[in-house]
Amino acid sequence: MVGFRFISPVLGSRPSEPNMLKLTRRIFQIAIVAAAAVTGWRFAMGWSLTSVEKFCPFGGLETLYAFVTSQRFSCAAGELNLTLFLALLGLTALARKSFCAWVCPFGTVSEGLAALGRRMFRRNRRSPGGGYRQCLEPPRAADRWLRLLRVPVLLVILYFTYRTGELIFRGYDPYYILFSFHGHDVMPWSYAVLAGLLAAAVLVPMAWCRYLCPLGAALWPLAAVGRMRLARSEAACTRCGACDRACPHALDVSGVDQVRSGECTLCLECVHACPAAGALELRLEGVRR
Amino acid sequence: MRVSPWWIPAVVLLLALLGIGSASLVAVPSYTRDFRPAAAAGAVGQRTAVLLIEGLRCVDTAERAAVQLEGAPGIIRFEAFASRNRAEVTYDPSRTGPAAIIRAIESPVYNEATGEVAFGVYRVVDVDGISRDQIPATGK
Repeated sequence: MVGFRFISPVLGSRPSEPNMLKLTRRIFQIAIVAAAAVTGWRFAMGWSLTSVEKFCPFGGLETLYAFVTSQRFSCAAGELNLTLFLALLGLTALARKSFCAWVCPFGTVSEGLAALGRRMFRRNRRSPGGGYRQCLEPPRAADRWLRLLRVPVLLVILYFTYRTGELIFRGYDPYYILFSFHGHDVMPWSYAVLAGLLAAAVLVPMAWCRYLCPLGAALWPLAAVGRMRLARSEAACTRCGACDRACPHALDVSGVDQVRSGECTLCLECVHACPAAGALELRLEGVRR
Repeated sequence: MRVSPWWIPAVVLLLALLGIGSASLVAVPSYTRDFRPAAAAGAVGQRTAVLLIEGLRCVDTAERAAVQLEGAPGIIRFEAFASRNRAEVTYDPSRTGPAAIIRAIESPVYNEATGEVAFGVYRVVDVDGISRDQIPATGK
């Protein structure tokens, strides 16, 4: 039932533009999860030599130092990891953390688990909409500090990867553990890490993405100055707060003129939830017309 | 400037294609080893065989694959592209050939640290796009 709710944003409603966009995002997400699962399964079965880690842009960041200093790649990282990371930087400079909401397979899994958590931990079952803020949500101050956890996680991974030349994060990477089907370096404790992260994603929406994802930390500064932003029209906004409740990353949308936070993934959930036409729109900053 | 939200999937798709399409521009080997520069100088002609090798997945396994070629005659240079499971072996065609290279790479791997011998560590899938089954197992 939860899965149905996750993939059925347009079923039972007229095919308006917001709904078509939501369906398009779901198609992107499901296609990428399916591609990752098939790639991982084929590799695990010995039917293909292409591993899922080949398509991870974080591998590009992990090998960047080795590539710049000695024109080599670290461990199993390669040119595709590097160019995907560079393309991701371009994407983030333009469309902020849209990678997280439109591409990242573990982001999709987290969204699905957040939908499950929303149903399990709904505080007020009669409340309409069922936004993310009905799940277990850390207090705002704690949330702000917890988000900083990603920075030491990123620094530790990069330090040891650069020092050893090994992809030391592999055994802890939920994307790799989940989609490699017991790939190289996946140990029994890796599954304990994965189980903990999946449980956390049910309890706190997007827990991995918000508090631990090293790629999210690396993209944070660039995403904060990304050119595409959601702008709120003061005149059209009814201050109903539907956008705040819909945001999977618990951002304050209704209280700002423009969503400048480096956490915005442009998932457009706030736009879909908004009952006032034209209250939220996408703007490209730095371009005048 | 107000833009359509459809810009987001368009930009995502465009940059994903750009990232995938430009990978070949930064292709550098994960590991390179020059075996016998002198042999290269004395060789009448050099050839390079492109091998797809199962088991070649990182810098360490590439280094070990190069060790497998140490005793083989006529090997000039070994370059591994681990992320693509690919190796380029430059050799002297008057002294060796693809069949001998396959035999050397697929031979049992001796681990000096443990003293153990491991079988089937590497399996050559194809050479220059020709399936391994179509390459004679004996001779050069």
